Amino acid sequence: MGKNKIWKGLTELRNPERSRLLKEQEFSAETKEDFQLSQLGGISRRKFLALSAATAAIATTACTNYRDKGSIVPYNQKPENVLPGKPNFYSSTCTGCANHCGILIKTREGRPIKVDGNPDHPVNKGKICAIGQASILNLYDPERVKKPIKKENGKSRELDWDSAFAELVNQVRSAESRKQEIVLIAKPVFSPSTARLLEEFKKRFGTTTIYTYDFLESFAKLNAWKQIYPKSDLPEFDFSRAKIVVALESNFLATEGNFVKNIRQFVSNRNVDKPEEFNRLYAFEGDLSLTGANADYRFPLHPSLFPLLLATLINEILSKYSNRLLNNKVPKDKILGLVANQNLENFSGKSGINKSYLELLVKDLIDNQGKSLIVTGDSLSEDVHLLAFLLNEILGNTKLYTAKPKPRFLNPSFDDFVQLSEKINAGQVGVIINVDCNPLFHFPEDLGLKQGFSKVPFVVTLTEDNNETAEASNLILPINHNFESWGDYYDGNNLYSTIQPVIEPIFGTFQKEDILLGLVNGQLRAGAFHKFLMDFWKEEIYPSSNSGVDFEQFWFSVLHDGVYIPPSNTVSNSYEPSFDFIEHKKLIAELTNDWTLVIKKPYFVGDGKYMNNGWLVELPHPITKVTWDNYAAISEKDAKSLKLENGSVVKLQRSGKEIEVPVFIVPGIAEKTIVIEAGFGREVVSVVGKDVGVNPIKLFGLDNSSNGYVFQDIKIIPTGKFRQIASTVEHHSLNDTGLKDLHKSRHIIQEGTLDEFVSGKMEIHRAKELISIIPEVKYTGVKWAMVIDLNKCVGCGACVTACNVENNVPIVGKDQVVRGREMQWIRIDTYYSGTPENPSVSLQPMLCQHCDDAPCENVCPVVATNHSPDGLNQMIYNRCVGTRYCSNNCPYKVRRFNFYDFRDHFADGYLYKDSLRLLNNPEVTVRSRGVMEKCTFCIQRIAEARQDALANGRQLKGTDVKTACQEACPAEAIIFGDMHDKDSELYYWRNHKLGYFVLEELNIKPNVTYIAKLRNKKSEEVA
Amino acid sequence: MSSNIDYSIEPEVVEGQPKLNQINEAIAKPLETRPSWKYLVALGISSTMLLIGAVCLGFSFYYGIGLWGNNQPVGWAIPIVNFVFWVGIGHAGTLISAILFLFRQRWRTGISRFAEAMTIFAVITAGLFPLIHTGRPWLAGYLFPLPNQHRLWVNFTSPLIWDVFAVSTYLTVSFVFWYIGLIPDLAMLRDRTKSKIKKTIYSIFSLGWRHSNRHWHHYEMIYLILAGFATPLVLSVHTIVSFDFAVSILPGWHTTIFPPYFVAGAVFSGFAMVQNVLIVVRKIFNLEHIITLDTLEKMNKVMLATGMMVGYAYGMEFFIAWYSGNPLESFVFLNRAFGNYAWAYWIMVSCNVIFTQLFWFKKIRRNIVAMFIIGVLVNVGMWFERFVIVVTTLSRDFLPSSWDYYKPTLVDIGILLGSFGLFFTLVILFIRSLPVVSISEVKAVVKGSQPVHH
Amino acid sequence: MDNQMNTSENLYGVGALFKDPNKIVKVVEKLVELGYKHWDVHSSYPLHGIPKRMRLKWSPLGYVALILGLTGTLTGLFLTWWTMSVDYPLTIGGKPWFSFPAFVPVLFELTVLLASVGTAIVMLFIIFKFPNNQHPLHDTEYMKKVSVDHFGVFIEAKDELFELEKVKSLFNDFGADEIIEIAYDRNEVAFKPKVFDVKFISFLVVIAIITSSVAYLFNNKILYFPPFDFMLNQFRLGPQESSTFFADGFGMRKPPAGTVARNQEFYPFKNKPDEAGMKLVNPLLATKENLELGRNKFNTFCSPCHGWRGEGDSRLNGQFPNPPSLHSEKVRNWTDGRIYHVIMEGQNVMPSYASQLTEKERWAVILYIRSLQRALNAKQEDIQ
Repeated sequence: MGKNKIWKGLTELRNPERSRLLKEQEFSAETKEDFQLSQLGGISRRKFLALSAATAAIATTACTNYRDKGSIVPYNQKPENVLPGKPNFYSSTCTGCANHCGILIKTREGRPIKVDGNPDHPVNKGKICAIGQASILNLYDPERVKKPIKKENGKSRELDWDSAFAELVNQVRSAESRKQEIVLIAKPVFSPSTARLLEEFKKRFGTTTIYTYDFLESFAKLNAWKQIYPKSDLPEFDFSRAKIVVALESNFLATEGNFVKNIRQFVSNRNVDKPEEFNRLYAFEGDLSLTGANADYRFPLHPSLFPLLLATLINEILSKYSNRLLNNKVPKDKILGLVANQNLENFSGKSGINKSYLELLVKDLIDNQGKSLIVTGDSLSEDVHLLAFLLNEILGNTKLYTAKPKPRFLNPSFDDFVQLSEKINAGQVGVIINVDCNPLFHFPEDLGLKQGFSKVPFVVTLTEDNNETAEASNLILPINHNFESWGDYYDGNNLYSTIQPVIEPIFGTFQKEDILLGLVNGQLRAGAFHKFLMDFWKEEIYPSSNSGVDFEQFWFSVLHDGVYIPPSNTVSNSYEPSFDFIEHKKLIAELTNDWTLVIKKPYFVGDGKYMNNGWLVELPHPITKVTWDNYAAISEKDAKSLKLENGSVVKLQRSGKEIEVPVFIVPGIAEKTIVIEAGFGREVVSVVGKDVGVNPIKLFGLDNSSNGYVFQDIKIIPTGKFRQIASTVEHHSLNDTGLKDLHKSRHIIQEGTLDEFVSGKMEIHRAKELISIIPEVKYTGVKWAMVIDLNKCVGCGACVTACNVENNVPIVGKDQVVRGREMQWIRIDTYYSGTPENPSVSLQPMLCQHCDDAPCENVCPVVATNHSPDGLNQMIYNRCVGTRYCSNNCPYKVRRFNFYDFRDHFADGYLYKDSLRLLNNPEVTVRSRGVMEKCTFCIQRIAEARQDALANGRQLKGTDVKTACQEACPAEAIIFGDMHDKDSELYYWRNHKLGYFVLEELNIKPNVTYIAKLRNKKSEEVA
Repeated sequence: MSSNIDYSIEPEVVEGQPKLNQINEAIAKPLETRPSWKYLVALGISSTMLLIGAVCLGFSFYYGIGLWGNNQPVGWAIPIVNFVFWVGIGHAGTLISAILFLFRQRWRTGISRFAEAMTIFAVITAGLFPLIHTGRPWLAGYLFPLPNQHRLWVNFTSPLIWDVFAVSTYLTVSFVFWYIGLIPDLAMLRDRTKSKIKKTIYSIFSLGWRHSNRHWHHYEMIYLILAGFATPLVLSVHTIVSFDFAVSILPGWHTTIFPPYFVAGAVFSGFAMVQNVLIVVRKIFNLEHIITLDTLEKMNKVMLATGMMVGYAYGMEFFIAWYSGNPLESFVFLNRAFGNYAWAYWIMVSCNVIFTQLFWFKKIRRNIVAMFIIGVLVNVGMWFERFVIVVTTLSRDFLPSSWDYYKPTLVDIGILLGSFGLFFTLVILFIRSLPVVSISEVKAVVKGSQPVHH
Repeated sequence: MDNQMNTSENLYGVGALFKDPNKIVKVVEKLVELGYKHWDVHSSYPLHGIPKRMRLKWSPLGYVALILGLTGTLTGLFLTWWTMSVDYPLTIGGKPWFSFPAFVPVLFELTVLLASVGTAIVMLFIIFKFPNNQHPLHDTEYMKKVSVDHFGVFIEAKDELFELEKVKSLFNDFGADEIIEIAYDRNEVAFKPKVFDVKFISFLVVIAIITSSVAYLFNNKILYFPPFDFMLNQFRLGPQESSTFFADGFGMRKPPAGTVARNQEFYPFKNKPDEAGMKLVNPLLATKENLELGRNKFNTFCSPCHGWRGEGDSRLNGQFPNPPSLHSEKVRNWTDGRIYHVIMEGQNVMPSYASQLTEKERWAVILYIRSLQRALNAKQEDIQ
C-alpha cells in the first residue's frame, strides 16, 4: 500500500474505495516510507495519546511531594507508670456541688480525658452525675481567665502574677491596719485543711470574717429542723431502707441532696426479681419533676396546699390510728391541737385528689412505720418542713435518717448577709475576697452588694472564669480547676476524701488555697498548699489512723484510694425531738390559692457556674427536653386561659420587680402554678452561656426566708412577644386523639403494675416468630448486646453526658437544636399518657439497637455501615458520603448526621479553640462534616479489652467491657455483655420474662432489651 | 419488518401538504435566523434562575448542607423531591419516541425529537441531585464500582446503587436514541448551510451520513431495536426510583403499589411538561402545521388517563392502609391527609386528580390556554406528590419521640429554582441549535413522499 | 471546492437525480436486473420497499443486539457476585453475601446499556465505517439536492459493468431530472500532512501544563485541606504528638509531682537496701515463661551495660564506665530483694529502671540473672 497521506483518519486505511484508487495511481515511489511514525497523519490518535499520556504521567509524578505529617515527640524523661496510648486513673474528689462525690479521673499521657465515679467511695460507689461527667470541659474551657486582671475606672488590663499578688497583699494589710474588716465570701467549706488555712488566715489578719453560702440554700428547712431537733444536725435519708416514700415538691432523684446516692438507694428496691421488696413512691408536687415522673402515684398539688396536706395526714393518723402507732413518745394531743379540724374529705375537696388514694397513703404509712419517709423539697416553706419532720417523727422514720455532710462556717441564715451589706454600706469593710463564688448572681439585688462593692476600697475575686462578681471587682485572680488542685474533704462524720491534681495548671494559674496561703505567708508559691495539706494530714489525721505504716505510705495509700475512713468511726445518729415549739407555733393560715411561683434548683447548670459548659446547657431537660433555656412551666389549662403557647413571653411581676420569661406548657403542672428553674440567665459569662435563659432571682427581695422559694404575690402578664425554645422533641397536646398514646399502641413502652406482674396477669407483647427465607448469619464467639432496665432508669441524663465525653460528640448550639440536629448518640425519650392534668410519664433511653438485620445497612450505597463479626452495627466514617438514607431507614432514628462541621459552626469555631484539642478522646475519631455517626457500643473500649485479652492470652469475655453509659449510670440500669455467655448477667436479663425489644414486629432483630417498667400500684390499670 | 408496514392508509399528520423543501425551510429556519428579543428574554430569565441555583449550591458546598432544612428525622427533602420530579419529567420523551413508535402512532413524529431532547435535559437535571444531596459530594465516585483506597466496592443491595445504574443507563440510551435520530437531519443541515464553521460542526456530528438507502436499511432496524430496549428501560427507571422508597421499611414508603404508581405519575407529569413547552415553541417558531392541535389533544388524553391512574393509586393507598389492618400504615395515611403536612397533600390531590378531569371536555382539550394552565397545575401537583411522599413520611415515623417538622430554607428554594433554570436553559439553547422536529421522519409521512408500489 | 471539471482518471461515479419517488422504483428494478453491484439509492428519508427491491441482505443488527445484551447480563452477574461475595464479602443487614434478587435491577440495566449502545456503535463505526467526511459524494450538487427533495441513484465507476456513456443513457431513459459525474477531490489527493506542525505541539504543551497544575493542586493542596483530607488531621491529641497549645510543644504531659495513679504501687524501702534485701522475696517461680520474659527484658535493658551474660562487658565501648560483673561473690550472695532494690533505685551510676520494667518483669529479670549466675559458676550438684 502507501499513499496513506491522502486520507485523513485511520478509518480510511480500511476504506475499499481508497485501496482501489491506489491501484489506479502509478506514483508508488514512496512505498518504502510506510508506517514511519513521523509519516502518520498529524492528528494520529495513537501519537496524540502517547504523547499526552506521557506528559500527564511526567507532570503528576514531577509535582507530587510528600507532606510533613507531623513529628513524633516522645517523653524526654518517661514518668514511671505512664505508657503512651494507655490510660491512667487518678482518684480524686468532685467539687461540682456540695456533695463532693469521689471521682476517678482517666488520663492519657498525663492529660485528663474522662471522669467517672470512684468505685471505692462509700457514698457514690463509682457513679457521678451529669455535671461531674461534663466538668472536664470547664478544665479546658478556652474562655477561662488566664492572667490576673486589674479593673480601674471601667478599664481592665492584664497584670503579671507578682504585681497582682503584691497589690493584693498591700490592700489586705492596709485594710487590717485601718482596722477595717476583711471579708471572705466562699461556698461552704468541707475541706478540713482549708478550714485550718482559714483559721490561720483569721489569726494572721484579725479583722477577718468569713461568709459562706450555698446557692438556693433552704434556710426554711434548717430552721424547721432546729425547732424540732435543736441538738442534732439536719440529716439525709437512707432510701434503701424505705418502703414508702412521699415526696412533697421534692426532687431527691435529680437535684436535692446527694441524688447520685439517692438514685442508687431508691432503685435498689426496684428489682423486678424481688417484688416483695418493691418500694412505693408517692409524689405531691406543683411542678412535674423527674422524681414525680418516676412516682407510682403522682398528684399535682398547688404549692399552697402542702401544709394542709401534711396537717391532714397527721390528723388522720393520730386520730384514727393512734392505737397502732409504735412510737408512743409523741405528745398526741399537743400535736392534734396544732393540726385540728383537718380531714381527708375536706382536703380531697380542696385538692381534687380522690379520697381513696389518700386513704391508701395513710394505710401505707401506718403499715410501714419506721420504713417510710416524707421528703420535702428545698423550695418549700418552714411549716411544710416542720410538719414533715413531725410526721416522720410520729411514724418513727427517724431510723432512716443518716448524717448529712456538715460544712465548716456555714452561715445559718440569710440575715447574716443582710448585716454584711449594712456593714459594707457603713464603710466598715476594707477588702472583700470572693473565693470562687458569684454572690452578685446568687443574691437578690435588694441586698445591694453590687452598689456595696463600689464603696469597698478593694474587692478581689478568685475565679476560674469571668462572672458577674468578677466584673464588679477591682482585681480578678484566675484559679485552678479542681483537676489542677490539691485538696481534701471531710463530711463531718466519718469520711475523708482527697483531691489531687492530674495535670499542671494549663493556664499557669494558682489554686485558691495557694493564694490565701500566700497572703498568710506573704509570698505566693505554687504547690505551697500541697505541703500545707500533707503537714495537716500528718499532724491531724495520720496519728489517729494508728496504722502500722509510716506517714509516707499512709498518704500514698490515701491518695491511691481517694478515700479514707478513720478506724474510730463514731457516728451518733440519735435524733432527740423536742415538741416545745408547738406552744408558740401557729400554723400560717392556708395560703391563697392563686398564682404561685416556685423557684427550683436547675438540673444541669448547678448554681449557674455551668452556664459556660455547652455539654450541660445542651443536655435536654429530663422532662421537657428543652435545651439552651429555662422557662416558666405552666399547665395547659392556664396556658389556654391566658392564650399562651410554648415560647410566648410573659412578664412576671412581684413587688416592683419583674422579669420577662418564655412559658412552656408542661402537662401535670398544678393549676395557677408557675415553676422556674434558677441558675440560668447569667449576664457576664463566656460566649457559650450568652442569652441562655432568664434569672428568676431578680424577683427575690429580702424576704422572710421561712417562706422558702414559693412566692404568692406574683402577677403574670402576657406580652405578645415570642422566644424560640429549642426542644429536642416535638410537643403536641395530649388531647390530640390522632397522636395519643402511640407509644403504648406501638409497644414502644410496655408497662404494668406490680400486682399484675406478681399475679401473672401481666403479659409482654411480643412479635410472632417469622420464618426466614434466607439463611441466618452465624455469629460465633462474643456477640455484644445490651439490656436497659426501665424499672431502674430514672432518666438523670448521666449516660448522655458520659457518652458525649467518651465519644467526642460536638455541641451544636441552639439554632441547630431548633432545626432538630442535636448530636447526642443516646437520648432519653419522654412519653406522656393519660390526661394533660395528671399524665403518667414514661422514660426510655434510646440508642443504636445494633439490629442483626439492620435496615440501615441494606440501603447504604457505599457499604459505609455494615455488620462486624461480633454483632456490632459499625460505621466506616471515611467511607460515608452522607446520603442519609441509613438514617431515613432507621426505625429508631438514632443516627446522627454532621450537617455542618459543628465544631466550626457552633459559636464561631469555639470548639476549635486550641485548648479543646486536649478534651477529645484520642481513641475516638473526630468526625468530619457530611458524615453519619451513631452509637458504637463504645467500640474503642471493646478493642482495648480485646487487646488486653490477647496480650494476657485470655479469651475476651463479655464482662471485660463496660460502655461509657453503663459505667456512668447511677442506677445500674444498663447491662452490657456477651449474649452467648450463658451464665452472664446480660444473658439472664436478655431472656427475662419482662424483657422486650422496641418495634420487635419489624423483625430487624434489635439487640437492646428493655425490661418493662412496673409501677407499684394497687391492682389497677396504669393511667 | 418496519419496511413492510404500509403507512399510506394513515390519516394526515402534517397539515396542508407542504412540499419537502418547505419542511426543510420551516424546521431549519430557527437555526438560521437571528434570535428574536422574546427568545433572548426567555434565555435571560432561565439562565438567571440557573445562576441563583449555582450560587446556592456553591454556598451549601462551602458551608455544608446544614444550609438546607433537612434534619433528624427528615434526612431527605427537597433535593430528593426534585430528583424524583425531574426523573419523572424525563419519562415522556422516551415514551413518545419509543413506545408510541412501537405502537405506530404516527402523530408522534411532530413532537418526538423535542420530547426526547427534554428527556435528556430532564435526566441531566435529575442526575445532579443524587450527587449534590450528599454530605460529601466530592466523594460521589464511591457510588460507582471503581477500585479505591478502601478496597471496598459498592453495595449492590442498595436501591441507591440501582438508581445510579438505572439513571445513567437511561441517560446514555436515550441520548444514543436521540442522536441516531439526529444524524440524517444534521446531514441535511450540513448540506444546506453556507457558513464554514457550522459546516464543520455539522459534518463532525453527522459523521458523514450520505442518505444512502443501504444505510437507511440498517438505520430503520436499529431504530426499532433501540425503541424495543428503551420501552422496558423507561418503565424500569421509575420503578427503580420508586424502589428507593418501596424497599425501605418506613410505613408510607414500604408499599408494592409504588412502581406502577410512580411510572404513571412520571408519564403524567412528563406529558404535562412536554405539552407546556411545545405550546410555547410552536407559537414562537410558528410550527403550528407540524406540531398540530390534534397532537396536543392526544397528549391531553394521555394526561387524563395517567392522571386517573395516579388518582386510583391515591385511593388504593388508603384502602390498603385500612385493609392491611396495620396501625402504623393507617396512621401514616391519616397523617398525610389530616396531619401536619395536610396542606401539601391537598394541593397534590386537587392538582393531579381534580383539575385534570376537565380534560373530559373536548373544548378544553383543544383550548390552548386552558390546557396550558392545567399542564402547569399538573406539574405543581406532581412536585407536591413527591414532597408528600418523601417529607410527611419521614417527619412522623415509628417513634413519636423522634418526630420533627421540616421547613425548607431559602437555599432549598434557590436550588429548586436552579433546577428549572438548568432545564429551561438547555431547552432554549436546543431550540436554536438543532432541528426541533425530526425532518426525515416528517418528510417520510408527508403525503406523496413515498413511492406507490404495485 | 468545485470538483465538477475533472478528468476521467479519478472519476468516482455517476449519479442521477429524480423528483418522483416512483421513478426510483423502476430504476432500481432495472439496475438489479442488469446485475450492477456497486450502486446505491439516496434519499433524505427511508423510501419504503426500496431495500427489498435492491435485494439487500437482512440486517444482522438484531443478532448483534442479542449477543451484546447477553454479554451485559453476564458482566453484571460477574461484577455483583465477585465484588459482593468473593473480593470483599461483608454482612449487610443479615443478608447472605450473594443475594441474587437484589442484583436483578443492576443486571437488567447493564443488559440494556450494553445492547443498545453497543449495537449503535457497531452500526455506525463497523457497518457504516463512520466517521467518513472525506467521501467523494460530500459537498456535491448531487448530495445537496438529495438532502432536500430529490431522489438519487448512483453507480460507482469501480463496478465491472460501469461504462460512463451507457450508464448516462440508462439514466436518461428513465427520465432523470439531472445526471452528475462525481470525481475524487484534487485537493484531497494532493493533501500532505505536516508531521510536527506547531498547532499539535503547542496543543500537547497546553495539555502538559494543565495536567501538571491540576495534579499539583490535587496532590499537595486539596488533599490536605479539610474536609477533603479524609480526616487525616483530627482535632485531638494522640500519643507522642506535638502540641501547639503547650509552650514546650510536648503533647504528652508529666503527672504533677506527688500524685498517685491507680496502677502505682508503693515502694516502702527507699534508700533502705538492706531492709529491702531482707523483707522482699521473689513471688515468681523459675518457670520457662518467666525466664523467657526475664531474658528478653534483660537483653533489652540490662545487657547494653552488663553484657549478654552479665559479665560487665559493656557494649557501649567506653562511653560509660563498665559495671562490675554480676557473677562476683557479692552479687551472688545478694538476696533477690537486694537486687530488686538496685533495679528500683539504681546504684552508683546506674539509674532506676522502675519506669522501664513492671514489677513482674523486674522479678523475672532477677530470675534470669540467677540462672545466668548458676550457669556460669556451676556448682557440683548442677553438673550431676
